[in-house]
Formats: sequence, C-alpha cells, structure tokens
Amino acid sequence: MKDNSNISQELLETVERFYNGTMSKQERLNFELRLDEDSQFRTQVEDIKTLILGIENQSLKEQLDTFHEDIPKSSPTKPSGFNFSNIRKLAAAAVILIAITSVWYFMTPQTDRLYAKYFTPDPGLPTTMSSNANFEFYDAMVNYKQGDYKTAIEKWEAIKVKNDTLNYFLGVAHLANKNEKDAVAFLEKATQNSDFTLSNEAFYYLGLAYLKDGNIEKAKLNLQRSTIEISQALLSALNN
Amino acid sequence: MRDAYKIDHQLQLITAIKDNNSIALKAFYVSNYPKIEALVLKNSGSQDHAKDVYQEAFISMWNNIRNESFTPQNDSALQGYLYQIAKNKWMDVLRSKRFKSTQPLSEERSLYLSYDEINEDEDYSEKLNATMQSFKDLGQPCKDLLKTFYFEKKSLREIASELKIEESSVRNKKYRCMEKLRNTVLASKS
Repeated sequence: MKDNSNISQELLETVERFYNGTMSKQERLNFELRLDEDSQFRTQVEDIKTLILGIENQSLKEQLDTFHEDIPKSSPTKPSGFNFSNIRKLAAAAVILIAITSVWYFMTPQTDRLYAKYFTPDPGLPTTMSSNANFEFYDAMVNYKQGDYKTAIEKWEAIKVKNDTLNYFLGVAHLANKNEKDAVAFLEKATQNSDFTLSNEAFYYLGLAYLKDGNIEKAKLNLQRSTIEISQALLSALNN
Repeated sequence: MRDAYKIDHQLQLITAIKDNNSIALKAFYVSNYPKIEALVLKNSGSQDHAKDVYQEAFISMWNNIRNESFTPQNDSALQGYLYQIAKNKWMDVLRSKRFKSTQPLSEERSLYLSYDEINEDEDYSEKLNATMQSFKDLGQPCKDLLKTFYFEKKSLREIASELKIEESSVRNKKYRCMEKLRNTVLASKS
C-alpha cells in the first residue's frame, strides 16, 4: 500500500460498485479498460480491495468464535476412578431424579404425555429455490426446517394468497411453536379440501392440536379421519 | 434430475456464503466441524488445535469462494473442499519445527510430509493480515459501521435509518473510517 496517492471518496465508491457488481455494462467496460492501462490506478483499486477484504475477513473471523460456542461439545473427559463419595453423590442424584420424574409423571395428565410422545413436526418440503416462482414460501420453509418456527410463521403469514399447503405448514409451525389455538385454525382450513395431497397428515396434526388443547373428543374425531398409521396408533392409545 | 437438484443446492449454498448470510454460514460451520475435529484428535492434536485449524480453513474456503477459484462439481464438493484445506493445514502444523520437536514422528504423519501445499501469494497475504489487524484495533464506531456495510452488506439507507441519521452523513462517515483504516495500515508498515 502506498501513501503517495490519496484515495478519493468517488474512487472508493466506484470500486465498491465494481466489487458488488452494480456497475452498468458501459461503466464496467471503461473501468476494466482503465485497470489494464493505468498501473497507478490498478494499485489504488487493489489497495481498496484489500481494505474491504480485510474488513470482511476480520469480521468473519470474529463471527466464527461465536459460531463455535454453539457446537455441541464432544466430551473428551476420561472416566474418573470410583470412590465412595462419588457413588454417594450419584446415588443422591439418582434419587432426586427419580423423585422429580415420578412427580412429573403423576402431575401431568395422560393427554400431555401422549402429545409429547406423538408430536414431531412435519419434516417439510425440499427447498429448491432457483427456478421457483414461489420464493417466499420456500424461503420460509428453510427457516421452518431449521426449527425457527417464529420466523417461518411471520414469513408465511405475510403471503397474501393462502392455499392448502400453506395453511397446513402454518398450522404445523404454530403447533411446533406451542400455539395450539392458532394451529387449530389453520389446520381446520387445510382439512376442508378432501383433494389436498397432505390431507391425511393435516387431520393427524389437527387431532394433535386438539389433544394439546385438551379437547379429546375433537382430537379423536380428526385422528379417525386420517389413514396414516401413527394416527391410528395414537387413537387407540387415547381410547385405552 | 436428482443430480441437477444437488448441484443447484451447492450453488445456493455458495451464493449464501458469498452474501455472508450468517444463518447459512453458521449452519455450514457447525455441521462440518465434527469431521475435522475427529481428524485432528486422531492425529495427535487437541480440541484447541482443531478449532484453530478449522477456522483458518473456513476463512480460506470463504476467500476462495469469493475470488471464484472454487466451483462445485458435485453435491458434497464444498464440504470435501473444506475438509481438504483443513487437512492440509493440519499437516503443515504437524511438520512444523515446534511440533516435531515435541512429538515423535509416527509413520502416519511422515506420510503427510510428501503432501503439496497450496502456495499463497506471500506479499498479498501480508497486506491482508496487516489490514485485518488494523481493522481489529479500529475504534468501535468505525468498526461497526464498516462491518455492517462491507460484511453484512446493509445499504447506506438501512444503516442510516438504524442509526437515525442522514444517509449522506453515513456515506461521509464510512469514507472517513476507510481513510482512518488505511492510514493505520500504512502506519503499521513503516
């Protein structure tokens, strides 16, 4: 980097446009021509590019450390030798754990346990964005698959034209987001049309939503209307 | 058809990485770490070694995507590429003097010695490192502004509305910060 040539604001912004590809064709041609012919200009452009890359590299580097904190730890700790105080501590912990579990078991109603056992969110649809006109839908699907139901719901709810698939995923996302009331509303809509390809799944999740909401009768009614195996299994567990 | 879908997925990933999309970067970072950690741990390294070597490799990968020296050939191309860079870097560490003097050379490791490494332009990487160091030590307001504009790629208008100031003053501020950064880099070299 040489300090004999000051870099003007205009040059900085020209390089930015070149760098992020927002130049017009003509401007780009002129710019590249000048790069070829004028070596001092070329050095200046290189310098600015290095500055920008340096900023980006350092920003990324600092971000990686925060990413790293979210990596699940593989514990390299070796098993320590047994001694009596350890066994005592373990035994105490086990007793407490058993106590808590049994309290939880007897305190929570059976329906909640069934719900917890049977509910896993729909895996979602494959997201191939490139040629898809329905960008907003698939964009939100990416959030949904990452477990960010809140963002997915926000994006899906912003889509004006609703269809069965959209209502279905909105319902499942609301349910995964622990909002069974809204889930019921969307899933009711999704189950209106008997031609809907996911209607069996929709009835199943609607049943789950009612179960979570404590409405056993409606839960059974909707589970009955779904032919998928897991729905029938849940239904018979409910009837027992 | 299926292959087309896979390549498409890679291109999508690469576009997201180019845009510094932090969700995509993070997902890719987290999902590829275990393999490289396993490699380093198996070859006389610690978890700290694994983290350092992985982060260096990740940044190299990112740079090579940016300057178009990497294009995917198949669905796991980028994952494989990242792994290869990390592996080469770990070999470099293993064959470095300090490491060799403290660790006996096993047969497995001496195999690595024949490996070629990618030669980087010394002069350029020196410049880049100087810039990174200067940016690291730059005052917080300038650092934040430059990071938001160049790394997160927010527009001047977005930044202006977040900071509740005029767009033109963001523009001037950004220019002054770049000057400041440039002068620090120049000063650090003399």
